[in-house]
Amino acid sequence: MIAVASLAIVVLLQVRAQGFDHLQHKALFPICASCHPGAARKGEALWPEPTSCAACHDGTIEKTVVWRPRTIARRTNLRFDHVQHATAAKDKPALCAGCHTELGEPRMAVRGTVVQRCLDCHGVRVAHLAAPDSACGTCHVPLVRAAALTRGDVARFRAPPSHANPNFLSRSGHGAVSRETMGASCATCHAREFCYQCHAGTAPPRAVAWLSSDPRSTAIAARAAPASHGDNFADRHGTEAAASSTRCAGCHIRADCLECHRPNAASGAGYHPDGFLARHPAAAYAREASCSDCHNVGAFCTTCHTRAGLVAGGVLRSGYHDTRQFFLAGHGQAARQGLESCVSCHAERDCLTCHSALGGRRFNPHGPGFDPGRLRRKNFEMCTVCHGAAVPQR
Amino acid sequence: MKRLILAALLLAPPLAAQGYRLRVDGRFQAIGYRGLQLDSIPVTDIVTGPGGGPATPDGFAVRCPSGAPYCLYFRPGPVRHGAPFVATGDLALWGLGVRGVSVHATARAALDFTGADAWPGTDPALQLINGYVEYSSERATARAGRQQHTNRLGTIGFDGAGLTIRDGRRGLEASLYGGWGLARGVALPVTSPALNPIDDFQPRRRQLILGMSAGWSGSRGDLHADYLREVDPRSDYFVSERVGVTAVVRPAPAWSLTGGADYDLAAGWWGSAEATVGYAARVVTASLGARRYRPHFDLWTIWGAFSPVPYRAIQAQVSVRAMPQVQLRARGERYRFDDAEAETPLVDVEQSGWRGELGATASPAPSWTFDAGYHREFGPGAASVGTSASVTYAPEGPYAVTVHGASLDRPLEFRFSESVLHLYGMDARVEPRQGLRFELGAVRYAEDRRRPDPAAMDWGQWRVTLRAILAIGSSDDLLRLPPARRRMPGGRAAR
Repeated sequence: MIAVASLAIVVLLQVRAQGFDHLQHKALFPICASCHPGAARKGEALWPEPTSCAACHDGTIEKTVVWRPRTIARRTNLRFDHVQHATAAKDKPALCAGCHTELGEPRMAVRGTVVQRCLDCHGVRVAHLAAPDSACGTCHVPLVRAAALTRGDVARFRAPPSHANPNFLSRSGHGAVSRETMGASCATCHAREFCYQCHAGTAPPRAVAWLSSDPRSTAIAARAAPASHGDNFADRHGTEAAASSTRCAGCHIRADCLECHRPNAASGAGYHPDGFLARHPAAAYAREASCSDCHNVGAFCTTCHTRAGLVAGGVLRSGYHDTRQFFLAGHGQAARQGLESCVSCHAERDCLTCHSALGGRRFNPHGPGFDPGRLRRKNFEMCTVCHGAAVPQR
Repeated sequence: MKRLILAALLLAPPLAAQGYRLRVDGRFQAIGYRGLQLDSIPVTDIVTGPGGGPATPDGFAVRCPSGAPYCLYFRPGPVRHGAPFVATGDLALWGLGVRGVSVHATARAALDFTGADAWPGTDPALQLINGYVEYSSERATARAGRQQHTNRLGTIGFDGAGLTIRDGRRGLEASLYGGWGLARGVALPVTSPALNPIDDFQPRRRQLILGMSAGWSGSRGDLHADYLREVDPRSDYFVSERVGVTAVVRPAPAWSLTGGADYDLAAGWWGSAEATVGYAARVVTASLGARRYRPHFDLWTIWGAFSPVPYRAIQAQVSVRAMPQVQLRARGERYRFDDAEAETPLVDVEQSGWRGELGATASPAPSWTFDAGYHREFGPGAASVGTSASVTYAPEGPYAVTVHGASLDRPLEFRFSESVLHLYGMDARVEPRQGLRFELGAVRYAEDRRRPDPAAMDWGQWRVTLRAILAIGSSDDLLRLPPARRRMPGGRAAR
């Protein structure tokens, strides 16, 4: 019972939504153009006058009806012209029904444009939104020419299924498509500002320039991230970014990186977790990450340690490393393991007190992997800091 | 010169459709902290401390250099207050009459209002980070001016020019750049006094750099190689010479293999390297990898000659979206340094270490996010163990509020500095309109230093931060931050 009632309501609503019940009047109007002369002849009105309805619906013959023809142009991006179609298809029977009825329905079972009928006629054998990229322009004008559409209309555009492909955001996805069909297809829904939502970091690809400017295009938000940006991508992005930073620059500007990778001392938590200031010794001693990629030891680490009293102050002092009684004598292993940490508090001359061959105690600092011949060739001056002019040959 | 400028102005094409984008990020902080201060006492004044070692009469443990007439110790210094303000501006201009030509500038201004020199990074007060003219087309990009190149070898800053040519269809790209280099990790030349706070040796002239890179990007992977040489123009000796290679392979959807390595041609040894297998699906994201880390030192310091040894690590991490509203995460790393060949029986030093972290993020309602984590790490030099938690309320509106807290136990290996730190604070964010954002944060560090002498100072402090970000542009789309940025996951939940 409920189902039948619901069905009846739905049918009733659909009929009401149609406004004029064409099917009920099929016997009265054998020719569509008798009421819609503008569909066949240029300069004529597309809609009938209210007086023509009142000829029957006068309250005596039939109940009165209220009908007002549309006076405002429909907000649409269709490039359709009734007269042109009528002229081009004058030899085809039931011309109007060819677009305004479902296949197999009677001539006067009229409804709004049945898109699939348009596609059938134009040789497109797939669903509307799956139509080839070259086909959009057949029926639609570019967004910039659809002046009547509002931002709300644009926001309600449905995305083609191709846009859901995980690869669509890549260069070989929408990038390749845009190079082929930017002006003909993409422009149906998009304008340059849409692209700028992501292509903000560098000069936009040339294909973007083929689009015209239309601020309404930002009503469609470019929200999907590339497939590579899964969870905890922040952890994994380093290697991929190093492999091809130009790919990142397609969407990201430098400020995006600096939200986390800020090379200044006054930044708060970003790349690092909350409270990292307090726990940074453990991460820094054994380099959880390469600190010096973002922080200069002199400008960042040492200046802060200086203000906190954590520097040797020009002369090697005893007393800070107080858990090991002979730390000064046996610091070598700790130094080779955490040299970056050492230099955040100590200057070179601190070490030369003992490690220099010029006035020092001649403790040899060279360890595993040291290649004297190569370093001598590459930068002889470095050798002279400790050895003076008498740099050993080996 | 004036005639030249006048002619250029007269002959310049009309500035039709000129566009710009400006982003200003200003951050003000109020901080106060207490540091250490080195002090000394005559040997004749020392007494025997509670532990049997030498100490000052008021209880500070001291170290007495052999034969010296005095002993040294560190006592708590005075509380130092700072009120630093740091503003960064990013400006891009285009539509200058030639398609593809744009101007980019990024500058940073820093000032400590207290004038007490308590905050690092405020000298020099104005820094130009980027400032270049770019011409970009589908096939080539050319830049001239101050710029930063980021690649396998780090962020390379220089004043000079660069050219990148590419074949987009084949995914090929090659770059060549060169000029006068900047110091690593900062937009200052190596000759800047700001890089020499403890009067270390310093180069007298800037290095000349020459870099080149080539890469291929495809749907199944990327391959990229970099070469960089830096030369001291005064002596014609190398400052550094390195090569690096990075590869990414995407054999199947959700799977990736990433790896890379760099080699120091000047020192003749391998630097850092890593190889990781990654899996990123809707429910599970995981990676397993191995890495090696060795620091890089320029050759105009002597540090490279001290033979820093690398460590090798294996690491894994997994993130599971157990339910749509709950995400669990875990990560761990174990590492061991190579033999330093400097071990002595005098000092016992840890040679290996590990790090681990567990956490969970729950969003029971769209506006609410709860996060909790536990981390523990142990290694040479320092260790830490701690917990943290946060609650974020971010409704579908222009504001968000986060309350967070943490506790941390952080012993050091080479100094009696075991301490327990409690940290709690809040962050608030409001965006009154698109392109304008204000943030307010306050955090309290409350520390209990456990030391067997009076040097157990109170490092506790408040830090208050006020931040404003303004982004404007020449049309309405430019008022937004890039959506890519807005989509970036925030907080530790996503790391």
